[in-house]
Order: sequence, then C-alpha cells, then structure tokens
Amino acid sequence: MNPEMNKMPWYNRLDLPGVTFILFLLLAASSLPALEGSGRDLDYWGNFLRFTDQFFPPDWSILGQTMEGLWETIQIAGISTFLASLFSLFLSLGAARTISPRWLVFMTRMVLNIIRTIPSLLWAILAVVLVGSNSLAGVIALSLYSTGYLAKFFSEAFESADLKAQKALRSLGSSRWQAFQYGLWPNLRPVIWSHCLWMLEYNVRSASIIGYVGAGGIGLHLKLYAESAESWNKFSLVLLCMLVIVTLLDFTGEKVRKSIREKLEGVN
Amino acid sequence: MEENCLIEGQNLSLRIGERWLVRDLSFSANKGEFIALVGSSGSGKTTLLRALSGDTPLANGQVITHADCPLPVGMIHQDLQLAEGSTAIKNALSGCLYRHSSLKTFFGFPDEEKNRAVTLLQKLGLGQKLNQWTSTLSRGERQRLAIARTLLAQPSILLADEPVASLDGKWAGETLNTLKEYAKDQKACVLCSLHDLDQVDQFADTIIQVDPVNHEKWEVKCNPSTKA
Repeated sequence: MNPEMNKMPWYNRLDLPGVTFILFLLLAASSLPALEGSGRDLDYWGNFLRFTDQFFPPDWSILGQTMEGLWETIQIAGISTFLASLFSLFLSLGAARTISPRWLVFMTRMVLNIIRTIPSLLWAILAVVLVGSNSLAGVIALSLYSTGYLAKFFSEAFESADLKAQKALRSLGSSRWQAFQYGLWPNLRPVIWSHCLWMLEYNVRSASIIGYVGAGGIGLHLKLYAESAESWNKFSLVLLCMLVIVTLLDFTGEKVRKSIREKLEGVN
Repeated sequence: MEENCLIEGQNLSLRIGERWLVRDLSFSANKGEFIALVGSSGSGKTTLLRALSGDTPLANGQVITHADCPLPVGMIHQDLQLAEGSTAIKNALSGCLYRHSSLKTFFGFPDEEKNRAVTLLQKLGLGQKLNQWTSTLSRGERQRLAIARTLLAQPSILLADEPVASLDGKWAGETLNTLKEYAKDQKACVLCSLHDLDQVDQFADTIIQVDPVNHEKWEVKCNPSTKA
C-alpha cells in the first residue's frame, strides 16, 4: 500500500459505497430485536416438522380444479400484461425526455411513481371494492400496477434508442411516421418485447397471490386450503403446480430474451 | 452553367472553429459523372459532403442544385445509420419510403420495389441474408446494405462518405462499379470520398483533391485514366 495512504485519517478513505455499506451494517445490527418473536416459549423446530409433514404427500385429487385456477391466473396475467403494454406505449411517450416537453414528462412520471408506490395487493383490494370479488378485479389491479413499471421501462427505451436510422430516413424523404416505423421502432421493438415478457412472468406470480384478497385465480384456492384444517397437502399441490408453471415461464422467457440480446448485439 | 450540371459549389469555404478545412472551392458535377474526394483523414472530406447535403453550414460560398426530381440529394453516411433491429431487406427498402404514402407502407412494400431491392442486394452479395437481422451482419455487409438503401432511393446527387472503407478488394471494386453504373444509368452524379488511389484512378471521372502543402486549398482535376 502507498505509505501516504496510511497517513490519511480512516474516514478519508471512505467513498459513497463504503459509507452506505457501514450504514447497512448499522441498520441490520439495530434491527436484531425483530428476531425476538412473540416471546412465548414455542417449539419452533417441532412446529416446522409437524407442519411440513402435513404437506406430503400432495393431494393429487384436486389436480383438475387446481389447473383450472392456474389457467384463470395465467389468463389474468396475460390480459393484464397486454392491456398494460398498450397503456404504457402511450404513457411512455409522455414520460420520455427525448420526445415530450418537460412539464408533460414531470406530470407523467409523477403519475407513474404514484402507481408504482402502491403494491399490487393493495391495488387488488381497491379493485375488489370497486367491481367485487372476481377475476376482473385482478385484471384491473395488475393492469394498473404493470402500467407503472412498463411505462417507465418503455420511456427509458425511447430515451436510449439510437435515432440515427430515423434521421437517415427523414433525410431520404420519408414521412415522420415512416421514419418512426422503419427507423426507430425496429430498434425499440425487441427491447419492449423483452420488457413485456418479463412483466408477464412477474404478473403470473402476482396473479397467484392477489386471489388471496378475492381478485380471482389460484390465490383463492390457496386461501381456502390455508384456512381449512387438514388441507396442507392440498395447499402443497397448488404450490407445486405454481412452481412448475413459473419455472416453465422463467425458462421460456429467459430463452427468448437471450435470443433477443444475441441478435441485438450481433456478431461485431 | 452546363445543361447537364446537377450540383455546383461556388467558392465554398468551410471551417471548424478557427481551423479552415476548405477555402474557395468551386466545382460542378454533371449527369453521369463520378467524382472522387481525396485527402488524408481529418482533411475535411466528410464535412464537405455534409455541407453539400445541407447538414453543415458553409462559412462562405454557396451550393446550387439543379436536380429536378423528388429526392435531389441522398447520402451514404460513414456510420451507416441502419435500423439494427430490422431485417436487411426492410432496411434496403426503407430507401424508397418517400415514393409511397405512410398508409401504404404501413402494411409493407409494393412488389416492384421488393423485386428491385432483392436484385440489388443480390448484386451486392447480400442475396442469402435478406431476412437476417441487420445487427447480425458483418461491418462490410452492413456497409453494402447502407449503399443499397441509398441507391434504391434513387437520388440525383449521391454523396458517399468512404463507402468502401470496410470492404475487401473484390467487394470494394464491385461496389464502386455499381455506384458508377448508377451514375450512368440514372443520369445522376456520385461524389464519393476515397482513400485508395488505385480505386480513384480506376473509377473517378473527376478528382477533387486536397493540396498536399496548403491543406485549405482543394484542387479539381480530370482523371486522365478514365477520360480516355
């Protein structure tokens, strides 16, 4: 080490990551009381073993209705992601600094921040209050929640897009729309599609849980089995099916995104 | 002014900051003419081409175009400016967008445009890569694609900024030949910056060359090799 470094006071060697790391350690240390629990003398390990014992073997007799619930969950996620993608395309134009005036960017981003601040479960509760306990509530909740994220991602894609091809087409006499369609959109499309796929995966997971508050899908099944006695083996089957579906979606989504990345990065 | 003249530069002067790149350059380009701009890197070839296309302001002088067509000037840029996420054929076809309405091109291109694009891309060695994403093409292939796009636009004055810089000897020759044929067939003029003096000697009708001593002065001369 440089001898000059040893002469420096210790705090002069700290940079922002260093300071934040120390603050994080302090926060973790000051949060230790959260590990106390109820304070009652419970047999945690025994409880855990008893509980997991009831999980196995999963009850395969409910496979049919579980698949129906899962299908409804996927439907909620699919239509929500589709609707959110449409809303987001328009909203992202307003939120992109390279396209819209500053006042519109500020307003749109403010709205998107508010939408993102509210968790999907809270959106679901609000939607259930509005339209009752059904899958439409799930669609409303996830469409709103996803729009908050997708519009942000899309606007960032617009801002970082390479505009040279679009300008080249304008200089070759094309109209604004043609230059957008053939010069800018082809560069944006793969990135936007990649974000949509990610959102679909995320929404399948979210749609599984919002049923817990009555917004349709497999969450309702989970709630029923968790609340009724001796149904943990049914609960475990639902979890198993969800695991399979989410893993399949993750795998497929990653494959598609990898292919998009490779194509965009090209051979150069 | 000669009847065949398509573009004239009158006493053109260009500078970047305090540095003069071009002083009092006058020239004219006629129908069917292939003009080579020759000079070392940084001598101002790109800036001169951009000034001719109207993208860079002149310090002095004026550029007069006499082209009577929907697209007087088209430029092949050194950085290609292609839509990387689009296929090769769509990038080429985007050169002819201005000939059709936005509504018509929203759903695709007319068959005659497609046929023309395919023929040209085959000629430029891209026949097997029509439906490949542009980002997956090599630099040389992308360069030929950018040339194809501008050729399909059919400008009267074609400005090409080092269009064969990334091409091997065979394709550089083929491409320059295609540009020269274009000038003859379409009664257009091609102004093209080149580094390889053999290529200049082989293809250029006229040479606009930076003076080796006074770098602000540019000299216009006929190429005796092609004049014969």
